[in-house]
Amino acid sequence: MTFLRRQLPLLITLVSGLLFAAQYYVPHPSSELMLTSVTKWLQIIGGFALILGVTSLFHIHAVKIRRKEPGWGYSFILYAGMVGTIVIGLRDGGKETIDGAATAFGWIYTFMMVPLQGTMFAILAFFIASAAYRSFRARSREAAVLLIAAVIVMMGRVPLGEYLIPASGDVTQWILNVLNASVRRAILIGISLGAVALSLKIIFGVERAYLGGGKE
Amino acid sequence: MTFAERMLSIDRRIIFLVIGLCTLIPLLYPVGLAIKVSPEVRSVYDYIESLPEDSVFLLSLDFDPASKPELYPQAVSLLRHAFKKNLRVIGMTLWLPGTGMANEVISRVAREEGKESGKDYVFLGWSPGGSSVIINMGQDLYKAFPTDYNNQPTSELPVLKGVQNLRDVSYVISLAAGTTGIETWYVFGKDKYKFELGGGCTGVIAPGLYPLLRSGQINGLIGGLRGAAEYEVLIGRKGKAVAGMDAQSATHFAIILLVILCNVFYLLIRTSTRAAEQR
Repeated sequence: MTFLRRQLPLLITLVSGLLFAAQYYVPHPSSELMLTSVTKWLQIIGGFALILGVTSLFHIHAVKIRRKEPGWGYSFILYAGMVGTIVIGLRDGGKETIDGAATAFGWIYTFMMVPLQGTMFAILAFFIASAAYRSFRARSREAAVLLIAAVIVMMGRVPLGEYLIPASGDVTQWILNVLNASVRRAILIGISLGAVALSLKIIFGVERAYLGGGKE
Repeated sequence: MTFAERMLSIDRRIIFLVIGLCTLIPLLYPVGLAIKVSPEVRSVYDYIESLPEDSVFLLSLDFDPASKPELYPQAVSLLRHAFKKNLRVIGMTLWLPGTGMANEVISRVAREEGKESGKDYVFLGWSPGGSSVIINMGQDLYKAFPTDYNNQPTSELPVLKGVQNLRDVSYVISLAAGTTGIETWYVFGKDKYKFELGGGCTGVIAPGLYPLLRSGQINGLIGGLRGAAEYEVLIGRKGKAVAGMDAQSATHFAIILLVILCNVFYLLIRTSTRAAEQR
């Protein structure tokens, strides 16, 4: 059992990791064919991951409803919404329109999902304004620099700012292109080096957390 | 409680009201201030302008309805430009919740521009896998999407004639609200399959994409509603993005004013506290 639970996954990871790291540099047709096949597998696995996610969500909320845990009413609404949408979606073949006419699934999408998601995101503007008023204070020199930069960028990104202070647009461009880009690049390089190190650790079996716990 | 302390603990509903009014009033009574076009938006426009007729343009609408206000106008402008230039347009999405919206925008703009599905454009829809979809399209587009969104076999569509994989695509633009998006298209697509890549994104993720822009990994970037408004100005068809810029100007200034006021009150409190301590 240890072989199946531990050694085989480690072996598959090692062989696959090394093979596909090398594949990138080999443009031979058979190498490309192998990549095509494996990415198709990945797409299929991606589809199954979706089923797994939906099943898990169903399970979590079913337990909440059965035990009548605090907030179980929300779980019930989520359950009803999901089941209703899936049933109607399957009936309409997952199409929002058929021959130009909106389906029931399309109606749910256009008049429920789109405005609800839009509203959730739009509410952020109100909370950001409130949070900025309460917490965006120049408590230190660093905070003051951040504050000034934020004000300049906010001015430079809207026509009214450029109209009142014409230089704000150019200063904003400089902040974004020079200061922001260089710092972001440094962070990206750090993250990428970390990703390379972690990948090597996984490929060579040093990092085994992905195998999960359980008995040996 | 001093005046400054009272002002700092102001009811947040007043702030919500100010922001609400700053959004609503300019939408009802637009001012129409001039919009300056930035170099990163112009790069995208110039590249599409430089493409010869019948070139293949792929627009990946990698966002969900939450980002519709910023990215939908970008999609409309880009599609209008591409159709005006008689490019062959391939639409797709890597975000499942955005599929219906992506189909709607492409079909609507195509109808307005007198273009025909299958002949002038195709909407491939969504396929699971994110980065795997990009690699698969790079290897063989017909294996990644055997049929389009309307269940038509992609191999039989005139719009895809001569297109076997991403190497045959002249220009790809990902309109992204996060990951999977522009970075994914660069890492798994452009780097290997050597097509030109541009980007459009929400305002909040735009600063994070500037390293890609500066290094030439993407040739242009349309950032947020402002970027969409700039593109509308460039194609000469002002729409929802230009209309929204006055509201955005007003809300930005309201937030700036609130931040300044908050700091003035904060400094007043700090000064009076220090003075009291010294006494």
